[in-house]
Amino acid sequence: MTLMSEKILAYALQYGIYILEVVVCVLLASRGRWRQHKGLSLYVTLLFALDGVARPAVFNYFGVSSVRSHQYYYFYWLTDVVLAVGAFLLTCSFFRRACKHEEKLWRFVRVMLFFVPPLVVAISVLALSRNYDHLFTKFMPEFSQNLYFSCLVLNTLLYLMIQQLAVDDDELGLLVCGMGVQFAGEAAGLALFNLTSGDSFARVLAPVLLPACTLGMLLIWIYAVVKVPEAVPVRSLAGRQAAMAEAISD
Amino acid sequence: MFIAALILILSVALLFFYLQATCQKVLRREFTQEFFQSIVNANRLEFPAVRKAIEDFGSPVEYPRLMLMLKCDFLSLTYLLKNAANVNQRYSHEEHLLILYFRLVFASLMVRHWLKLRETPAALKLASILQYFANVVGERVNTVRFGNLTASDYLLNL
Repeated sequence: MTLMSEKILAYALQYGIYILEVVVCVLLASRGRWRQHKGLSLYVTLLFALDGVARPAVFNYFGVSSVRSHQYYYFYWLTDVVLAVGAFLLTCSFFRRACKHEEKLWRFVRVMLFFVPPLVVAISVLALSRNYDHLFTKFMPEFSQNLYFSCLVLNTLLYLMIQQLAVDDDELGLLVCGMGVQFAGEAAGLALFNLTSGDSFARVLAPVLLPACTLGMLLIWIYAVVKVPEAVPVRSLAGRQAAMAEAISD
Repeated sequence: MFIAALILILSVALLFFYLQATCQKVLRREFTQEFFQSIVNANRLEFPAVRKAIEDFGSPVEYPRLMLMLKCDFLSLTYLLKNAANVNQRYSHEEHLLILYFRLVFASLMVRHWLKLRETPAALKLASILQYFANVVGERVNTVRFGNLTASDYLLNL
């Protein structure tokens, strides 16, 4: 692939992501489902605000010239950590939804989720001690890789839990699958970045692989919001009998 | 270095796992009725026979015939998906995804045959993808009316 067509593909994917982020927000708002999907709405809004607005703004302001390139670099990795934390919180909200009828299990899961961030930070501090001189070239990609991989492991545990508990929520299943595609792509991309020291990877695969996974996640989410019918609460037999008795007495 | 390599391998494996799980979730979509039967009858599709052979005898028909049956049904159904009662005359995103999934499972069926592994799960997956396609075509044909006319009204008014 020539450099020109690579750039065109990267731009097409990037703008496709911005459009789909807006589409997800509009769909959730227009169907009145943003209340039901508060976590999802907040995450997609955050994604659009940071990736679609703030990063290009900082890039345009500071540029990538050799003199002022550090500002954009710092901003990119800091927003990446913010997005990873946002994705972790979204996964927690999916756990809560899956354990809606299992309070005992949710208490256990909550404790487990509480220990994940300190564990990731502890592992990354070990990495920091080795790469203190290369804070933004080695440490940040490794830290993000660990964060995304731990989110991927959690997401997979959530998927298995949904299967095990036979949770009858197709929408949640699809949302979790979309999240898994994103986490797996990010973790794989960053691991490849660390293995190749960013040389060949940064030039060829990064502008295509990571946006393609985000695009996949957004498409799966749109399918989940549009195609999966909304769950309608069904009254229990006792509830129906009570309603019937009420109607007769009226 | 070792941890990065391990994360890379696991993440790529999980990426494919989630893509497959997404396809399976799409295939689980429930239709209001079984539209596929009329499409099967009208086009003499053979995938129900493949499924029946597996259910009755525990194994599909002989390999060359199985491949031909599935391939012919796939070609017929993808043509119908694109052209039958489809105003845009193009596949939707999930249809693109399932077509890709079909091709991958079809390739895995060939590999399984060469390696002399069990072919039944892959054949059943292919049959379920074809059934989904037939359901989508049947649903479209069932819902599309020519203005306010049904298909028979339309023909009578010609």
